[in-house]
Amino acid sequence: MENRTKHLFLTGFCLAHLMAIAPSVLAADETERDDRPLIEPDVKPVPVDQALIDTENFEIGAFAGVLNIEDFESSFVYGGKLTYHLSESFFFEAGLGFAEAGATSFENLAGNVQVLTDSERDCSYYNINLGYNILPGQAFLTENYAFNTNFYLIGGTGATEFGGDTRFTINAGAGYQILLTDSLAIHLGVRQHYYQIDVVGAEKTSMNTEISTGLSVFF
Amino acid sequence: MPIVIVLLMLCLPATVWAGWLWSDDEPAQVVQVVEPFVAWRTGPAVGYPVFHSSEKGEWLTLLQRKTGWVKVRDRKDREGWVAVADIAQTRDATGERVTLSVPDLAAFSERNVEAGIMMGRFQGAPVTAGYGGYWFTPNLAAELWGSQMLGSASEMLMVNANIVHQPFPHWRVSPFFTLGVGHIWVDPKATLAVPEERDNSVGHAGVGLRAYISERYFIRAEVKDYKVFTSRSTNEEATEWKIGLSIFF
Repeated sequence: MENRTKHLFLTGFCLAHLMAIAPSVLAADETERDDRPLIEPDVKPVPVDQALIDTENFEIGAFAGVLNIEDFESSFVYGGKLTYHLSESFFFEAGLGFAEAGATSFENLAGNVQVLTDSERDCSYYNINLGYNILPGQAFLTENYAFNTNFYLIGGTGATEFGGDTRFTINAGAGYQILLTDSLAIHLGVRQHYYQIDVVGAEKTSMNTEISTGLSVFF
Repeated sequence: MPIVIVLLMLCLPATVWAGWLWSDDEPAQVVQVVEPFVAWRTGPAVGYPVFHSSEKGEWLTLLQRKTGWVKVRDRKDREGWVAVADIAQTRDATGERVTLSVPDLAAFSERNVEAGIMMGRFQGAPVTAGYGGYWFTPNLAAELWGSQMLGSASEMLMVNANIVHQPFPHWRVSPFFTLGVGHIWVDPKATLAVPEERDNSVGHAGVGLRAYISERYFIRAEVKDYKVFTSRSTNEEATEWKIGLSIFF
């Protein structure tokens, strides 16, 4: 009986002792083992911050070309445009253009006649348009260069100030954009501007074709 | 070990200083591909050809974004365009999923700012208008408008300020009511016998509809009834309808 009691107490005591020691032994192990690299890297992992990614959905550009003002010869036209790309396909474009109209055939033949004063010959327009990139693609210059391109359709409304009045104008056309880099583009475009005019007799729809070349940057 | 720590401590200010001197002021935005692969296109649209792909585990630096596309560079200095939806499947250096905002219907119903261009008719004359609006709550907004009406007899310019109430902001097609005041300048055509410029205050009320399409844009259409307060014995009335495309942020 005595043996049995001793045995019970002793095993209990030994177990308790072992349990008390074990953590300290393990703890000692931990202090000896060092998983850290000898030299800690100075670089901390940085989470991606979308505010730091440059977003280039706006495009600003200038253009120059020829505008055929119906009845008033063809003239040099220049202007600027601001574009906002809504998506890969659609974009808004706001444009401004300036030109100076020439003389009508009647003025040229009759000699000393003026249908419009000099200030009335100044032609300027603005328009707000919606464009659609219908044919995205690539153009290859020699075997070394490939440029992204877009063929787009565009149309919208605005106003033309010409012949002493401001006239509601609808414009429609198409353009070819060649991206020299992802931030710089060349545009070749054709636009038809339509408005009602009555300075040379009865009121009629005037059709004015514009062919232009432009350069634009994304920002 | 203490010597190493001391050396590190000594070097630390120099490395910080060097980093400030040579590195870009913005940390490079790098992500790791976790899907089997991501496709690269030559340009920011689905119409451009796929010319390369990055495998799982590759690290990509995000360079710039155009609409729904991100230009990336890999460790071998190749560059191409990856869809935002694919970048959203990658993880950044901290192991977190990358969050890039893709505007959707939920973003549309929580928009703060909207702007757009609209076309239509103002009492028979074609009208071109632009506006910007700010949402105070999902139901209530304030807007500023500029319109140009070019009729056969006169040219009109109009500015307006109005409040807009939208009863169901979470609907994809959501009606609204608007009430406002403004000013109109009327300039008769030069070819008319007695051109006389005039300007008047206006008040208006209207109803309209917004229809969310996708990404960041929606169609807006509205009808407004204008009261033009003239100095004559009777006021004038005008009805206007417009339709246009708007964007939101």
